[in-house]
Amino acid sequence: MNSNDITHTLSTYVTTQILKQPKRILKGDEPLISSGLIDSFHLVDLGLFIEDKFGVRIEDSELNADTFDTLDQLVVLIQSRQ
Amino acid sequence: MTLERHSVLRIVVKALVLFVALNVAFALVDFPANGGVAALGRLSLYNTLWPGRARLPYGDDPGRAYNLSLYSLEAMFASHELSRGAKPADEFRVLLIGDSSTWGWLLRNEDTLAGLINAMGLTTEDGRAVRAYNLGYPIMSLTKDLLLLSHAMRYQPDLIVWLVTLESFPADKQLDHPIVRHNAPAVRALIADYQLRADPNDSSFVNPSFLDGTFIGQRRALADWLRLQAYGALWGATGIDQYYPDTYEPAQRDLEADASFKGMAPPLLPEEALAFDVLDAGVRMAAEAGVPMLIVNEPILISQGRNSHIRYNFFYPRWAYDQYRELMRKHLHLATTPGDVYYLDAWDLVPQGEFTNSAVHLTPRGSTILVEQIVAVLRKQMLG
Amino acid sequence: MIVSVFAMLPTAAPIASHRFAALLHVVHVAAALLSSVRHAALFVTSVLAVYLLQPATPIAHLDFWLPSASLLLVVVVWCATQPLRLEAMRETLVTAGLIAGLVLGIGALGITTQLCCVVTRMPPPNILVVAAAVAGGVLTCILVVIVFAGHPARTTWLVFALIALLVAVKLNWPISGADAPQAETASPAPPPTFATIQWLGFSYIAFRLIHALRERALGKLPVMSLREFMTYVVFFPAIIAGPIDRVERFLKDLRAPFIFNMSDLVEGGRRLLIGVFKKFVIADALAIIALNDALAVQTQPGLWAWVLLYAYAFRIFFDFSGYTDMAIGLGRLFGIKLPENFNRPYLKPNLTQFWNSWHMTLAQWFRTYYFNPLTRALRMRNIAPPLIIFVTQTTTMLLIGLWHGLTWNFALWGVWHALGLFMHSRWSEFARARFGAQDASKLQWVTHLGGVVLTFHFVAFGWVWFALSNVETSLTFFRRLFGMP
Repeated sequence: MNSNDITHTLSTYVTTQILKQPKRILKGDEPLISSGLIDSFHLVDLGLFIEDKFGVRIEDSELNADTFDTLDQLVVLIQSRQ
Repeated sequence: MTLERHSVLRIVVKALVLFVALNVAFALVDFPANGGVAALGRLSLYNTLWPGRARLPYGDDPGRAYNLSLYSLEAMFASHELSRGAKPADEFRVLLIGDSSTWGWLLRNEDTLAGLINAMGLTTEDGRAVRAYNLGYPIMSLTKDLLLLSHAMRYQPDLIVWLVTLESFPADKQLDHPIVRHNAPAVRALIADYQLRADPNDSSFVNPSFLDGTFIGQRRALADWLRLQAYGALWGATGIDQYYPDTYEPAQRDLEADASFKGMAPPLLPEEALAFDVLDAGVRMAAEAGVPMLIVNEPILISQGRNSHIRYNFFYPRWAYDQYRELMRKHLHLATTPGDVYYLDAWDLVPQGEFTNSAVHLTPRGSTILVEQIVAVLRKQMLG
Repeated sequence: MIVSVFAMLPTAAPIASHRFAALLHVVHVAAALLSSVRHAALFVTSVLAVYLLQPATPIAHLDFWLPSASLLLVVVVWCATQPLRLEAMRETLVTAGLIAGLVLGIGALGITTQLCCVVTRMPPPNILVVAAAVAGGVLTCILVVIVFAGHPARTTWLVFALIALLVAVKLNWPISGADAPQAETASPAPPPTFATIQWLGFSYIAFRLIHALRERALGKLPVMSLREFMTYVVFFPAIIAGPIDRVERFLKDLRAPFIFNMSDLVEGGRRLLIGVFKKFVIADALAIIALNDALAVQTQPGLWAWVLLYAYAFRIFFDFSGYTDMAIGLGRLFGIKLPENFNRPYLKPNLTQFWNSWHMTLAQWFRTYYFNPLTRALRMRNIAPPLIIFVTQTTTMLLIGLWHGLTWNFALWGVWHALGLFMHSRWSEFARARFGAQDASKLQWVTHLGGVVLTFHFVAFGWVWFALSNVETSLTFFRRLFGMP
C-alpha cells in the first residue's frame, strides 16, 4: 500500500467512524489529537483499526500527540513499521 | 556561538543597567522618609477594589488575622476607611486615638468604641451625622499617638478623642516601639516643632541611608505593602482583621506583692518621669487646627484578688496610679489650654468582669459602658 | 568515538591537521570527561536531594528512613527489571557501593553534633542501626535478583506491592507513639496520621517505578546501568513535583555527549527564571487570598467567594506550572530535556483539551498503563461504546483524584471531571452530527470563547472539591458562591 492509499483509508475511517461526518475532508497536516478532534477513547479505536488493517502495532504509550498528531505523521509511522 | 555569546552579554549588561537605574530612580522618588514606601504607599487597592479597613493594619499572624503590621504610615492610612474620599459636607468627623483598647483587641469592629458610636446614629445640632473613625494602634506610647495624630490632622477632624493610660506615659519608653523608630524623620519633626524632651539623636531611631532607599533596600517595606494589598481581599471577603482565639488567658486578678512601677518605688511618682510634654503637644496640635479634643483616662481593671491592696492590676501599683490620676487632673486643669479641651477620667467606670485578656482590654459590654460616658460628654459639650 | 574523528580528518596539510586533530582530541576527551562528570554530579546530587528535600516528620528518624526506603525501592526495581550483565558488574558494584556509602555517610553525620542536621532535618538514627539496614538492603537486592532473573512476568507482584504501599501511606491511619506537635494555641493540633507524613516525592517515584516495571513486563524496557536508573527516578529537578518522564526518553538525553552550549544555558536559565517568578511571585502572592478551609466558612456569600475561588484556580496553576518550569529549566541546564507538563490549560475550549494540557505527564501515564489497556480489552468484547467510555473515563479520573490523596474530596474531584469529560464526549458526538457543516462559520470564535469560559469555570468548580478537606465545607462554599449564607 502506498502512502496515498494509507492516507485515504485512515481519513475515511476517521471521518466516518470517529467524527461521523463522512463529507468532511481531513487535511494531511490537520492536528487530530492536540485539537481534541479525536479523544482518548477513539484514539484506542484508531490504534486497534491500524493494527487490524496494516498489521502495525501502536503501543499504549504511543497513543498521544507526541508520537503523531496528523494524518501525514501517522502515515510515516505506519510505513516505518511495515 | 560567538554571536550568541555576544547577545547574551548584551542582555546581561542591559539588564544590569536597567536594574541600577530602577533602583536609583526609586530611591530618588521614594526615599524611605517614614516607614518606607512613602510615595508608593499612597497607592492602595483599599477604598477602591477592597473596602477600607475599619482600624489601622496590625497583626502578628497575617495568615489567620488577614492583617499585618508595617511601618509605612502612608500605606497604613491609605488602607483605612478614613481615606475613602473627600469628607462629606454633612459629616461630623470624630477621630479616636489610643492604644490596643481603642483599636479593639479581641473585639469585632462593631464592638469597638468607634463601631459602637457609629451604631448610635448620632447627629449634631446643625444636622451633621456623627461618624467615628478608629485610629487606635496596639502600642502604648503617647509619642506613637502624637505621630498618628499629626498624620491624621489632614483628614479634617471635627473632634479628636484621645484615650490614654499611665502605661503610655513613661518618658524613657516613648521611642521604644518599631513604628516610632522607623518613622524617625516625622518623630524628629514633632520633637522640634513641639520642643519635646525626647532626644532627636536617640540611638533607637532607624536612619535609612541612600542605599536603603533603593528598590532592594526597601524590599521589606515593598513586600509589606504588597501583602497589605493582598490581605485586603480577605478583609473584604470575611470582615476579619484580627485572629480571635477560641479561648484566652483572662487578665491577672491575683497579683504579685510588688509595689514598683517601671523601676520606680513609692512614695513619689515624679511628674518629669511622665511624658506630659507629649500630651501637651497633642493638645496644641488640635488647638492650632481649631479642633476640640476630648482626653479620656481609659478604664482599668480594678481587681479584687491577692495583693490587690498593693496593685490595681498587672500594670499599676495603687500609689503610682493614684498619683498619675492626680497629676492628670492638675495638669489638664492648670494647663493654659488654648482650645476646647475636655477631660473624662473613666478609670473606675468598668466593673471587673468586663475586661478580657489585659487590664485595659474591654468586653463588648465594657466598651458600651465607656461609649455611653463618652457620648454623654459629647452631648453636653458639643452636640447639644 | 575518538578513532572515528581521526578518520574524518583531511589528509592534506598534515601538520595543520595534526594540530587540529590534537585539538579535537582534547575537545572530545573534555566532552567525554564533562559527560561523565555531569552524570556523576547528577547522580550524587539527586541521591542527596532525596534526603535534603525530605520535610521533618512527626516520628523520629523517619526523615532518614523514608528517603532511604525510596533509594532501596529504586535499587530493588532495577534488580528486578534488568538482565544480569557480568560485563557491567564492576560498574554496578561501584554504583551500589556509592549509594550504600552515601546512606552510611549521611547516617554517620549523626555522630557529630555540629554536622548531624546538615542533610536530614533531624539527627539520623544510630549508625549501627543504619549499617544493619544497609546490610539488610543488600541482602534484599540479592534475593530480588535470584527471584526475578528471567521472569519478567513476576514484575507484576512488585507493581501491586508499590500500589499497596501508595495506598498505605496515603491512608488516614492514626500513628501511635508519635509526638504530637505542640501548638501555641489553646486548642491542640489533631494527632498525626499516616496521611500527614510527607514522603518526599514518593507519589512520583512510585509512578516512575511502576512505569519501568510495566515496560519490563512488555519487554520494552531498555538495558541500563543502576546509576542511570537511579538518576532517572530521583532526578533532583523533578522530584518535588514532576514531570514524570519516560525512562527511554530520559536515557537518550543522559547518554548523549554533554556539550556545554550557550543555547541550553540561556533557554534553561530563562525557563528557570520564569518558573521562579511564577511560583515565588505570582503563586505565592495569590496563595494569600486563595480558597482554604477557614476562608470557605468565613467568607461572605456572593462576589467575594468568587474572588477566593479565582485566586485558588490561578494559584494552583502558577504554583504547579512554575515548579514544572523550574524543573524543565534546571534539567535543560544539564542537557536533560524533561517533558512539558502544561500547555495553556485554562485557554482550552473544552474539558477533553484541558486534560490534554493539564499535568500532561500524569494523564499520559494513566492513559498508558490504565485507560488504554482497559479500553482495548473492553473493545474486544461486545460492549456499547458509550458504556466503555463511561466506565474507563470515570475510573481513570477517580484514580487520578485518589493519587493526590485518599479522601472523599479528591475522589469527588475525579468524578466531577469524569462526568464533565463524559458530557463533553456525548455533546461533541451530538454536535458533530447536528452542526458539523457549520464549523467554519463566522461565529466560531464566539463558540470558542464560550467554550473557554465554560471549561475554565467547570475546572474552577472542581477546585472547590480539590482545595477543601471535606464534603460539608465544599457544599457550604458552593452555597456561598451562589449567594446563599
